[in-house]
Amino acid sequence: MELPPKLSAKFEKLQTSYPAKRSALIPMLMYAQDEFGYISDAMIAEIARRLDLNNVQVEETLAYYSMLHRKPMGKYHVQVCTNVACMLKGGYEILERAKKRLEIGHKETTQDGVFSLEEVECIGACTGAPAMQVNYDFYENLTPLKFDRIIEELDAGKRPQPEPVTSGALHDRNVLETPLISRRWGMKDSHKLDVYVMQGGYKALEKALKEMTPESIIEEVKRSNLRGRGGAGFPAGMKWSFVPKDSPKARYVICNADESEPGTCKDRPLMEMDPHQLIEGMVIAGRAINSHQGFIYIRGEYRYVLDIVDAAIAEAYGAGYLGKNILGTGFDFDLLIHTGAGAYECGEESALMESLEGKRGYPRIKPPFPAVVGLYGGPTIINNVETLSAVPSIIREGGETYANRGTPKNGGTRMLCVSGHVRKPGIYEVPLGMNMKKFIYEVAGGIADGKKLKAVIPGGSSCPLLTADEIDIPMDYDSLAKAGSMLGSGGMVVMDEDTCMVDMGRRIMHFYAHESCGWCIPCREGTTWLRKMLERFHAGLGREEDIDLIAELAKNMLGRTFCPLGDAAAMPTISIMKKWRGEFEDHLKGRCAYKSAGALVGAR
Amino acid sequence: MPDQRLIKLKINDRELQVPQGTLVIEATRRIGTEVPSFCYYPGLSLQAACRMCLVEVEKAPKLQTACTLVATDGMVVRTDTEQVRQARKAMLELLLTNHPLDCPVCDKGGECELQDMTYRYGADFSRFVEEKIHRPEEKWSELVYYDAPRCILCFRCVRVCDEGMDVKALGVGLRGANSVIIPNRADHLECEECGMCIDICPVGALTSGTYRYKTRPWEMQYVPTVCAHCSNGCKTTLSVRNHEILRANNRDLSGINKDFLCVKGRFGFDFTTNKERIRQPLLRQGDQLFPVSWEQAAEAAATKLKAAYDSGGKDSIGFIGSNRTSNEENYLLQRLARATFGTNNIDHHRTADYAGLITALGERAADSLLTMEQLYQSKAVLVIGNDPTNQNPLVAWQIRSAIRHFGTRLFLINANEIKLKRKARQFVKIAAGQEPAVLKWLAHEEGQLAPELVEQLVQLKAALEAESDVAIVFGAEVSGAAIAALVAFGSKLPGQTRYMALGDYANSRGASDMGLLPDRLPGYARVDDAKARESFEQLWGCVLSSKPGLTVPQMVEAARSGQLKVLYVVGANPLAHFAKPDSGRGKLDLLVVQDMFLTETAKAADIVLPAASAYEKDGTVTNTSGEIQLLRRAADVMGPRTDCDLLRILSHQLEKQGLGKALPYKTPGELFSEIRKAVPAYNVPLAGLLTGGAEVTRAQVARNGHAPYDVPAGLIRSANDTLFTSGTLSRWCTMMESVPEAHS
Repeated sequence: MELPPKLSAKFEKLQTSYPAKRSALIPMLMYAQDEFGYISDAMIAEIARRLDLNNVQVEETLAYYSMLHRKPMGKYHVQVCTNVACMLKGGYEILERAKKRLEIGHKETTQDGVFSLEEVECIGACTGAPAMQVNYDFYENLTPLKFDRIIEELDAGKRPQPEPVTSGALHDRNVLETPLISRRWGMKDSHKLDVYVMQGGYKALEKALKEMTPESIIEEVKRSNLRGRGGAGFPAGMKWSFVPKDSPKARYVICNADESEPGTCKDRPLMEMDPHQLIEGMVIAGRAINSHQGFIYIRGEYRYVLDIVDAAIAEAYGAGYLGKNILGTGFDFDLLIHTGAGAYECGEESALMESLEGKRGYPRIKPPFPAVVGLYGGPTIINNVETLSAVPSIIREGGETYANRGTPKNGGTRMLCVSGHVRKPGIYEVPLGMNMKKFIYEVAGGIADGKKLKAVIPGGSSCPLLTADEIDIPMDYDSLAKAGSMLGSGGMVVMDEDTCMVDMGRRIMHFYAHESCGWCIPCREGTTWLRKMLERFHAGLGREEDIDLIAELAKNMLGRTFCPLGDAAAMPTISIMKKWRGEFEDHLKGRCAYKSAGALVGAR
Repeated sequence: MPDQRLIKLKINDRELQVPQGTLVIEATRRIGTEVPSFCYYPGLSLQAACRMCLVEVEKAPKLQTACTLVATDGMVVRTDTEQVRQARKAMLELLLTNHPLDCPVCDKGGECELQDMTYRYGADFSRFVEEKIHRPEEKWSELVYYDAPRCILCFRCVRVCDEGMDVKALGVGLRGANSVIIPNRADHLECEECGMCIDICPVGALTSGTYRYKTRPWEMQYVPTVCAHCSNGCKTTLSVRNHEILRANNRDLSGINKDFLCVKGRFGFDFTTNKERIRQPLLRQGDQLFPVSWEQAAEAAATKLKAAYDSGGKDSIGFIGSNRTSNEENYLLQRLARATFGTNNIDHHRTADYAGLITALGERAADSLLTMEQLYQSKAVLVIGNDPTNQNPLVAWQIRSAIRHFGTRLFLINANEIKLKRKARQFVKIAAGQEPAVLKWLAHEEGQLAPELVEQLVQLKAALEAESDVAIVFGAEVSGAAIAALVAFGSKLPGQTRYMALGDYANSRGASDMGLLPDRLPGYARVDDAKARESFEQLWGCVLSSKPGLTVPQMVEAARSGQLKVLYVVGANPLAHFAKPDSGRGKLDLLVVQDMFLTETAKAADIVLPAASAYEKDGTVTNTSGEIQLLRRAADVMGPRTDCDLLRILSHQLEKQGLGKALPYKTPGELFSEIRKAVPAYNVPLAGLLTGGAEVTRAQVARNGHAPYDVPAGLIRSANDTLFTSGTLSRWCTMMESVPEAHS
């Protein structure tokens, strides 16, 4: 197949960028689709040929990722998010508007081929909900009117100005905030190397390389009580110390930038406004485990962020912070940013590694854990963007100082993205252990429109929900666990008294059924069954026995699935069934008692 | 492989010891406790996907998958608690949500793992009231159909195609509950058509184009026998209804091939009912063959043979035997030739130089010949010539399995870039026909070879010298003196070296062992060895000729020139494989053929006797690695008789004509008893054989007096079959012929 010269050059570069050729598969598919609007049979054959794969290996991989299409999409692919944060702020109204305005349905294309429409899962714009993407451009804080204007401009061949940065990231600082890793946000050109260096950037790297040993770096991180910010909260220093010292295989550092937990949009501004902080953290992590290659796995939707980070990586190479003999210390470290293609499951560390190796994002059997057998079979540490972004501060100010910013065992600060029915949705950096009620009412401005609080998702839609009575607790990993929930990924979604919890349960399950990889039976079949049942129930076709059945099915998934996705689907459902059972009973009367957005869709 | 240190664990209060590294699911099977599973399949990579094998382990916070959990010392496992039972029931309930309950019309009904598990562990009612996902059935090839809704996504098919077959024709499409298995050519398959995916499917998602909707499993009888095609001797279980074979597979994993079968073993049985099958004896009148009664045919054959014997003498008659007929039949044929007619003009189409290998090994032969199992367990394998993937599918499977399971190193010397190259540590490319020169160099560092080739051979030699256990497998390219060179090289290797010669057809080895050779008696004793002759003369009550007879090419040539007057052919097609074009049957006065079909040779015959196939008879066959297995009569076809019967009938008619004595054996069993006495290598333990196992023949050179043996160039000749052919026979395998891959 004859390729445009630019794409061909891109392919050639990708083919030689990875330790294993196949790793280039997903980026190649994404860039090919950018060029042609879809992946054709000829393109599959071409990529298979270039990567020494069978056609079916290419086909099965691309079929897994929701951003990759086998049929031509419109010139403008309109992707409207209706996931929880957007739903609460009118996401379904935007979707309905889009259907009417464009006269097409979900995954359809207009006859002239200009527009196509897709209802998508959380795109990481929760603090700017409701939001959508047109191709890779983000449009946030939408109203039906604003939507119409965007479509009109596109129709006229213009590109409406996308959001300059993640909505909600920049705001007047609240006195309760303690900006550390977000302190450069809002500075002019904060993503550029000279600004970063002027602000004291790469000093921690110099210290780590020149004054510290790998062991002392790990010790410092252990002292900081830094716990994984992706959701599980595993102590980062301990994770690093699991890497065997004498492995003959190459070791890797991976940054998990596949931010896709519904309600979470903190990694996006961390990368777009301070990419060098992340790069510095990764080189230090590389030094700590004696690795010479890092990867940033970024979700496919964040293409503009990828470009920003890629430019920062180039700058860092130019200035000698990456590459051979960094800062004259003899330490080598290469870094590559790699695009995903639409799969929540690839946020699971082992599925991410499969995906990075160019395969379907199926999780791996554990043990062995990645620290022992990870990417390409080599010892690998994988950490969230926020975790790695905290590393320079820890090295610079010392682990203990960092730890003291939080509470015992929960060191440092935490990025929280609060969305839903609060007056000031946004991304805030606060000390770990801040009281949740205080945070919602004093930092996030309380509940909008003078309404009462009904429920809180504390850290992404995988967490059990809390009632208004349960939120007077410190926000740290252990207190949340004690309250029967999780601190999770920092994606807090707040619901007011008019929210239909049946609809909420339905929308949460819709997401997990869409994102289940299909590997294991309980998750694959359980999420789908629950989705169908909750849709039917919410549409007014519920039966009394369904209430117990929903709860029981969720329990049947819990703890029995291959990876945590099944638990993530089960836990919020179990909590909703337990805490708002009354609302389910109300639905048996035939209709939703609330004017919830989801009611517009009915049973689908 | 688990190492041999034993650890102790407790399963359901029962203590047991297992080797370290054993999976809990295997440990439970050792004590006869069933832990159900769909995705776990011994020999394939672990999945932990179906979650059926969840068990309780003391001190573990949640249920654990027994299929990935390695047993450790002091572990306490429970497989029968309420929690475990509830989990299994829940999994089955979930599985059945999208699985159609069309069991009454599903091929798998009655032998379906999902059905069985639901019966044993599932609920007796359904709570699912939502709509099921539906998709139309897909036809992927003439032999493979896929019904997506029935698929439970255990991924066994994908794994066996990728890991087991190294074909990678299957993948997984979409994701979540919409996941499906996809074929490699968008809507159809292009592959080896082995059908492994069909048999490994626990449910009726993958069905066989030849078997679907034919019958119910409980209406059939199951007859274990040996595949009629290549020389590897795979056990195949024939599913038979009303004397007709409807299916072939090996689901009980018994036999040397476990569950492996290639397209021939699985689909190549329908020649038995092919319309072109000869059902009646045929007699030539002028230009045409006419059907006649058995009496007429047998009498005609005996009369004409007697007349030719009287006029032309014993060496005017030649016999060509088969490499497909049973050991008993081969033994019988050479006895008829040697004892009744007094000639050594007996041979068969030789496809491997077994005699040469056994001779070169001499006293070591008994311990230096590889079995299929030993090949699988070898630490290093050297393959010279041949294309095992196409010509010897089980050999290729064993090699691939060894590489996968034990990290076995594979080395290749070949003139062609054969498929196994993908798995090889080193591939030494040579010119066609260069094998003898290369082996001579390896053995003695003699001869002129290109420097680049020498460099590669030096590297190969060094690699093999570092191994403790080398299996050497070779094709028809290596015969006679080249085998001697090969053995000389192998003997110099510091570790253990064992060998396997690769022949072509189901009983090539048996034909050789039974003395279908012009210069060798059964068991490879030379015909000019008086002592060896004497023992057979006593056994058969006759006088044997000490003069070596003609080989197949010589007989065909002698027929053309007129030196040979009569040719008696059993299950062979020499006019197609050896005669010059247009020379036809030459100047033969009489050509008698026993066969299943009107082959080129049968068409030219004066008398054609319809023969039963291997699936229609009892007896034994010996595979290329010298392992004997039982043939069991599965099908019954009206008309043909077994070659054993045909030869016995003929001997009675000949006796009537005053030539020789009627052959005394009534059953193949009686013949086998005599073979065990006459050929010591065949004196194998009967218990294993009779219960469906394979018994190794241990070649004993001393007993029968082997001597150096050199075969003329070109005598050992492979048919170079593909996966879809086996000489003449595959022409009549309609199902196999129906796939496009068979003709590419």
